[in-house]
Amino acid sequence: MDPSTASEPERVRLLGLGNELLADDAFGLLVAEKVAARMPELDVVRSSESGFALLDPLTGVSRVIIADTIQTGNAPPGTLYFFDVSELAASPAGAPHGAGIREVLALGRALGLPVAKEVWIVAVEAADCATLGGTMHPAVAAAVPAAVEWILAAARGLRRPDSARPARSPR
Amino acid sequence: MAATTTHKITIDPVTRLEGHGRIEIILNDEGNVDRAYFQVPELRGFEKFAQGRPAEDMPQITSRICGVCPTAHHMASTKALDALYQVEPPPAGKKIRELIYCTFMVEDHALHFYFLGGPDFIVGPQAPAAERNVLGVIAKVGVETGQKVIAMRRKLRDLIALAGGKPGHPVFGLPGGVARPLSKEDQQQFRSVAAEAVEFGQFSLDAFRKLVLQNSEYVDLIRSDAFTHRTYYMGLVDSQNRLNFYDGVIRVVDPEGKPFASFTAAQYLDYIAERVEPWSYMKFCFLKPVGWKGFTDGPESGVYAVAPLARLNAAEKLATPLAQQAAEEYFATLGRPVHHTLANHWARLIELLYAAERMKELAEDPEITDPNIRTIPTATPREGIGVVEAPRGTLIHHYVTDARGIIQKANMIVATQNNAARISLSVEKAARALVSGKNVSEGLLNMVEMSFRAYDPCLGCATHSLPGSMPLWIEVRSHQGERMAVLRRDSDGSIHRE
Repeated sequence: MDPSTASEPERVRLLGLGNELLADDAFGLLVAEKVAARMPELDVVRSSESGFALLDPLTGVSRVIIADTIQTGNAPPGTLYFFDVSELAASPAGAPHGAGIREVLALGRALGLPVAKEVWIVAVEAADCATLGGTMHPAVAAAVPAAVEWILAAARGLRRPDSARPARSPR
Repeated sequence: MAATTTHKITIDPVTRLEGHGRIEIILNDEGNVDRAYFQVPELRGFEKFAQGRPAEDMPQITSRICGVCPTAHHMASTKALDALYQVEPPPAGKKIRELIYCTFMVEDHALHFYFLGGPDFIVGPQAPAAERNVLGVIAKVGVETGQKVIAMRRKLRDLIALAGGKPGHPVFGLPGGVARPLSKEDQQQFRSVAAEAVEFGQFSLDAFRKLVLQNSEYVDLIRSDAFTHRTYYMGLVDSQNRLNFYDGVIRVVDPEGKPFASFTAAQYLDYIAERVEPWSYMKFCFLKPVGWKGFTDGPESGVYAVAPLARLNAAEKLATPLAQQAAEEYFATLGRPVHHTLANHWARLIELLYAAERMKELAEDPEITDPNIRTIPTATPREGIGVVEAPRGTLIHHYVTDARGIIQKANMIVATQNNAARISLSVEKAARALVSGKNVSEGLLNMVEMSFRAYDPCLGCATHSLPGSMPLWIEVRSHQGERMAVLRRDSDGSIHRE
């Protein structure tokens, strides 16, 4: 099915973002794998792509839950954030190369594509996302189970980001 | 220097998904720009990571290094394996590779022009910062054109998936050829999309003519001294010195446009050297035969450029008729070679048309459905070097293995490293033009961003981290590290001083 032309309004998708080769950046993929094992009926997409390539996994369902890493530098590694995409700072208009999730969503909406109406983000504060073959920081690894539990509850419709926020959002 | 006071300004555009770049501007004690540097957070540990792995795993592994251009890494790595196992793919194997590669180039260039470079040239450099984003682009070109870009992208990605595996995880390249032949049905799909891609390329060039070339302010800006550097240019060419993204020799022209060098991937270490600066973890490439003369342009300086502008300069001509015609118009307008960094956007569209026409040629080639797609390697491996033109410039993979094909040493030169010194030149020029004293002009942000985007630098292959709270900031510090002033631009484009 072509996700950019079809919409199943009630569907929820988990999108695990990251790169398993780059130390802490494996977090989103690892979390997605563990959620998929616990909830086989959930639509789970794992992706190492970025920018406008993310238009596809953000399209065709009503709600997307994203698992990713974040580097605010303002919290210790392993700190979990749960927030709605509207709380996320967009890529600056002048980002040299990137396109942010908010920008991708805005583009999709402007073009009338069936992009997700709600996007929730579960992100962990990462220590290192640039060392090839690097190992995950113990505190980041330790945050995996809590992220998995939160996503399982959220996917079952039991929680929203604003009702379960053990940590502050990055803004 | 002990008695003088220096101030450091840092511009740090934190992008959401592709790492972040950093610009540092050092002021002298008069408050004028002393030096300006561009840095990217380079991936660490490639060599160590590669050591001990079977070389045959590298096309799959290295494609996962970068979330932006996995196909380019996959292809460079596959070609390094061809060299490692001293094996020549049969014609159909090569053609299928180039066909998939050109499909990828069309997609990448289209996205860049419309959605990443578009804010500068479609919306316009003079537009308010808050409109210089993807929504501003759609407002200017119309929803229909936006939909056309997205529909084109979808068809191109579907083709890559059809012939090469998931676009994010290409799996088609094997030493000596490709994993699967192209069926007649596959060929038909490529033919039909390629024809559309050619039309799309022409449509995009027409849009560029209307939106940019008919506006004399834009053309003056492209030609302006602030965005001009007379450097060497590098790009891959075929046996007739025509641009090729997939294969050929690396050709370098001097700042006059005269041929300076032609070399094979295997000879790259004789021509490309890397320089480490004490203030940066980034390696700056320069032309070894010219030598490093600092961050300066001209024939005496080994600084060179890669990517669309450089490739069109480095090639004598383009191999396809419509793109060649477009290139002639480009050189007639801007002179040859073109030294204007912002002309990269125009060059990128000409390359898009070339890639589409080349796709069409290959898709119509009866040999492309030949089932003989792979030469099985039999030689003992030792060393292999592969090169392709990534969308952002020349990309080289280099592996040394033991007799079992286990990697002992590995090196990789990515596009942005080739361009790093010239990007620093651009930043410095913009800084000198706009920064005086500790009053940092807000125009600097705009100028610097425009330079960035023209090069389309890949800022750290594949860091997926979400951003911190401050998308772009300039910080002025004294040499003791004391914060003196901060200029911050938020995600909505508003600028604040603290």
